[in-house]
Amino acid sequence: MSFLSDFWRIARADRTGLAGAVVVGFYVLMAVFGPLVAHVSTVQDPMKAYLPPSWHHLLGTDSFGQDVMAQVIVGTRPIMEVGVLAASITVFVGVVVGLVSGYLAGTADTVIMRVTDVVLTVPGLPLILVISSVVRTSSPVVLALILSVTAWAGLARAVRSQALSLRTSDFIEAARLQGASLTNIVGRQLLPNVGPYVAINFLLAITGAMYAEVGLFLLGIAPVSGTNWGVMINTAMNQGALYTSKSMLYLFSPMAAIVILQVAFVYLTRVLDSLFNPRLRVQ
Amino acid sequence: MRQYVVKRLVMAFAIVYFVVSLSFFMIRLMPGNPMSALEAQLQKQGGMSPAEIQQRVQAIYGLTPNEPLWRQYVSYIWNALHGDLGKSISDPSQSVVHVIANAAPWTIFIVGSALVLSFVTGLAVGALLAAFQNSAFSKSMTFVVSFLSAVPNYLVAIVLLYLLTDVHHYFPISGAYSVNIRPGFTFGFIGSAIYHAVLPVAAFVITSFGAWALSMKGTAVSVLGSEYVRAAESRGLSPRRVAQSYVGRNSLLPQVTGLALSVGFLFGGSVFIEFYFSYPGLGYYLINSINSRDYSVMMGCFLLITTSVVLANFFVDLVYPAIDPRIAKPGLARRAEEDKEAAEETVAVPGVGV
Repeated sequence: MSFLSDFWRIARADRTGLAGAVVVGFYVLMAVFGPLVAHVSTVQDPMKAYLPPSWHHLLGTDSFGQDVMAQVIVGTRPIMEVGVLAASITVFVGVVVGLVSGYLAGTADTVIMRVTDVVLTVPGLPLILVISSVVRTSSPVVLALILSVTAWAGLARAVRSQALSLRTSDFIEAARLQGASLTNIVGRQLLPNVGPYVAINFLLAITGAMYAEVGLFLLGIAPVSGTNWGVMINTAMNQGALYTSKSMLYLFSPMAAIVILQVAFVYLTRVLDSLFNPRLRVQ
Repeated sequence: MRQYVVKRLVMAFAIVYFVVSLSFFMIRLMPGNPMSALEAQLQKQGGMSPAEIQQRVQAIYGLTPNEPLWRQYVSYIWNALHGDLGKSISDPSQSVVHVIANAAPWTIFIVGSALVLSFVTGLAVGALLAAFQNSAFSKSMTFVVSFLSAVPNYLVAIVLLYLLTDVHHYFPISGAYSVNIRPGFTFGFIGSAIYHAVLPVAAFVITSFGAWALSMKGTAVSVLGSEYVRAAESRGLSPRRVAQSYVGRNSLLPQVTGLALSVGFLFGGSVFIEFYFSYPGLGYYLINSINSRDYSVMMGCFLLITTSVVLANFFVDLVYPAIDPRIAKPGLARRAEEDKEAAEETVAVPGVGV
């Protein structure tokens, strides 16, 4: 409870952070309930292409005469789903590798860190493009795995250096003397101490994954099927939306949906950061 | 110093070797298996004997499909070492090396200019934000800057395309220079190349200077509050001296580390930007080869993108001792390395993980 009251106290002072939290909450609701509320009609009617906004079509229609608003709402779930999945994998791998490496120290640590350095240097986005072009999948889980292929490395490095400083502390020493297992020390002793840091990185990992994910759909490298924001922009551009000013709402709506969500995540991260790091509040 | 350089060199080679191996296993063993896909495609086209098909596949990938796996691996690495990355599938008269050798300079041109421009603007804005911390200017600017750094660069690219080229024709839509100008060291050519680079570079700078500004602001604020700055001030040193040698240098260190990390990010992001502006760099060919299933060109582009990133990182590592002299001195190196690692963690360039 004290967490929530702390959150409320800090968020009240930091209006943009509060706005970020509200917006993210709204998107989560949209991802969960959106497909129940909005339906993308399967009827295509070229006569209704690029209709201006009206009560019937709040954001107008696309080049096939379908409602843009409904597509934006329905498109939320696939993007959020893969983003959260990818972030979970990224954070899980990063934290486990980092904690184990930092706790073991010595040769094992050196080996693990050299591998991590290699992964950290390989440019992630081109690698993701290359892998997904060979794998060609529409499964959200596989897509999430591909998206997290290099993202864990930075987190692993950061978590490791925290684990390095924790491993000499008294309570870890005590646990070791009691003969606690590696899983116990890593999972029950070390993990809670890096918890806040991990929470923030989870949010950052979601934004990173969504950046790459939308890009994959946009370029048509992930199979273009179903309705999501990346697919919408991809279709819009293929339908020549760049060459007419009538298409502005159609092209810019999914883009706005992405940008607003990304920005909201950034502000939410910031408010969490000052919640977990009292030092930042003083500055 | 020598040990430092050798360590970095070994690391650079390890990464390139890793990526070459990765690209081999991807062509050979991944679920889609591009190599057998090509074989099947050639069989379907007909008119070729099995031996001819084998020969064709071998010419394109530099691999003989019926050899044992380890022999293929060795010959792939050997060929790659000799700069032979096979031939393009869609146009077998072109070698992969030829394609990427023409593309690489353009990518390096726009990524390099974008990096310099966003680094310099970012540091300047960040220093201003730190200097006037509690002013209205700083608050609203911080908002704008963090907003911009959260926007994906490909979306900015699409907006720029929409507003400035396709609907209103202020800038060229595609290419690296005008088709009626012959490449050469002339004003016309250089001018045209810069004109064509404006929008791609702008898309980068708009979305990446913010991260520099925020990180510069963060470190500068904490350096300003530190005791050695207060000590320097109370010794009566001129404000200029304090700003330059105390605040400036110590705020710069983490940024230089961040520079190395962001090189990879920019090269990654250039894929999107080059594709949208039809800018004939590595990213453009990477996407085109993916779309036309030209896996040999795809692997070549990926390999060169990685190598460029590794080289750039290596270069930053070489420059680093000039800014932090401790790093090359054995006695102080450990301490400096620790600082550097700590800095790497605090410099959060968005999207670096991607």
